[in-house]
Amino acid sequence: MEQRWASTWRMSVNERKFIETALASDLRVDGRRPFDYRRLTIKFGREDGSAEVQLGQTHVLSYVTSQLVQPYRDRPNEGSLSIFTEFSPMADPSFEAGRPGEFAIELGRVIDRGLRESRAVDMESLCVVAGKSVWSIRVDLHIIDNGGNLVDAANIAALAALLTFRRPECTVGGENGQDVIIHDPEVMEPLPLIIHHLPIAVTFAFFSDGNIMVIDPTHKEEVVMGGRMTATINSNGDVCTVQKAGGEGIMSSVVMQCLRVASVKAADITSKIKNAVETYNTERALRKVKRHPLTAAHRVIVPDVIMKNEQVENIGHRPDKNSRQDDEMLVDTKTCTNSESSSGGRHTDPFVGGSSNWDPYPGRVGKLQDLPGPLMVIKEELRSDEMVIESTPELSTITSSSGTVGASGVKQQTNAPKSLKDAVKSKNRKKNKASTTTS
Amino acid sequence: MSNQTIKLGAGLRQDCDTISVMKAGTLRLSKPNKYWVESSHKRYVPCVEDTVLGIVVDSKPDNFLVDIKAPTLAFLPVLAFEGGTRRNIPKFEVGTLLYVRVVKANNSMNPELSCMDDTGKAAEFGPLKDGYVFETSTGLSRMLLSSPTCPVLEALGKSLSYELAVGLNGRVWVNAASPSTVILVSNAIINSEFLSGVQQKIMVEKLMKRLQ
Repeated sequence: MEQRWASTWRMSVNERKFIETALASDLRVDGRRPFDYRRLTIKFGREDGSAEVQLGQTHVLSYVTSQLVQPYRDRPNEGSLSIFTEFSPMADPSFEAGRPGEFAIELGRVIDRGLRESRAVDMESLCVVAGKSVWSIRVDLHIIDNGGNLVDAANIAALAALLTFRRPECTVGGENGQDVIIHDPEVMEPLPLIIHHLPIAVTFAFFSDGNIMVIDPTHKEEVVMGGRMTATINSNGDVCTVQKAGGEGIMSSVVMQCLRVASVKAADITSKIKNAVETYNTERALRKVKRHPLTAAHRVIVPDVIMKNEQVENIGHRPDKNSRQDDEMLVDTKTCTNSESSSGGRHTDPFVGGSSNWDPYPGRVGKLQDLPGPLMVIKEELRSDEMVIESTPELSTITSSSGTVGASGVKQQTNAPKSLKDAVKSKNRKKNKASTTTS
Repeated sequence: MSNQTIKLGAGLRQDCDTISVMKAGTLRLSKPNKYWVESSHKRYVPCVEDTVLGIVVDSKPDNFLVDIKAPTLAFLPVLAFEGGTRRNIPKFEVGTLLYVRVVKANNSMNPELSCMDDTGKAAEFGPLKDGYVFETSTGLSRMLLSSPTCPVLEALGKSLSYELAVGLNGRVWVNAASPSTVILVSNAIINSEFLSGVQQKIMVEKLMKRLQ
């Protein structure tokens, strides 16, 4: 008992009295006016569907996940949305680990009502096969620090996470035409959820028999307050839910006033969330765009530069073969790099790494077409080389170079012995080599 | 130097010939021979002779149970008041704020408090009336108590009059004539935690301008 006493947060009489007297003259202990909201910051995680919201000192983390499940009997063509709350004892000593407390359940219910019963998230678009499989969306809310007004902060966190969440694309097909195939996010771009409107929860606290009303109460104000009301409202002014908690009764005129204030605040918060989501989305898109050129540059341009240097030298050494310079250049570049690779030079490393990466194993053949471009480019280069060699068999220099090409082909085979395709290719190349040498 | 005795305080431990640090913080030295490590926490570890702000949780026949943000509740004997006898036991309701001194702080024992100084005088200890209390880190409370007056308090004191009681357990009590002054002072103190002396002064100046 005593141990529990020591870990609970308690308030002195002085604080209680001061907060009440200050509120009587429209002052709040953190310097805000009665209808000021605290500073709101929304951050997003690296993955889609995770958001971190800070409202003053309150800190909430939310995470959205999805799963394919069988739908409910009465709603065969609708997905489901469920809210789970986790109150960490780190946030507030009065939160107990494990069993959710009364407030945890209330918070979950208020957010659930606001999101689900106002049909903010389109449920029918989550249906894959009616009556068989639908997407079930799960929102996990983690309270990391309790600085008061958890409902609003958790609601904003849930909305921000839902807005950035993307479920994997799936199609119906397979052998019997009934299987659901979930596509990898790399293969098919995941789809965002359809969200019709944003229900924003705005909490009011009442003091001294409902005469004093403040918005967004802090932790200390929550201890002192007589009653609390949460209005969930969207930017169009539609009231989604109203939750009146705490004992104190309030006048209907006060409720109407609250709703008017809430609709203004909701519009404000909606724009904040939308801005944050937009910046996240543009960043995400930029991340996507940047990735491909970077890898391409790494794989193709780096060896290319080396080739060119030596190519210039080669041209300088042999000025007499100007007529077929273009073809020669191609061949020569190959010979240079290949001779280097066969001699075990340092330039082999990127090439070998590349080949072991892009060599498709038989099991993964299906993915081949979706691999980024540069690999295909390399292959085509090789092929064109072979073409060149075949078309110019009479030049002695080129036969010698083709010999090195063949050698490099063998080398490649030893580098990646598992790959079936490579084995086949090297055989072809051997044939080519044989044909060129004989002719 | 070699045969000098040194005293180790919080955060330091002796293993045979070596002294090792047990927590992160700044190493402090009090001449001639006291060493300890200072760090900022939201919790308080009781230490003898610290002055703290406690909140009465319960009263027992022999002791008041006081919350001083320590791992366990502290005992304040009912006789530990100036001229305290069995007949004139003070009455504190639950939630009363007390300015007290730690007299015993041992492991595995509840800390013991007193409302008297060493000589048995009341010396400012006792209940605090009105005002506002807020909780900060122990580091900030130590900064507020540092010996050349903390810049933020000095800057505030130039234009405002207020009363302040700082407990080493991270509780700060502020009182002034008007609630707006109390709110201003308390927020200025909370905001000054990670500011340098000059920045604190600038911050207070800005606040004053906004007030006028």
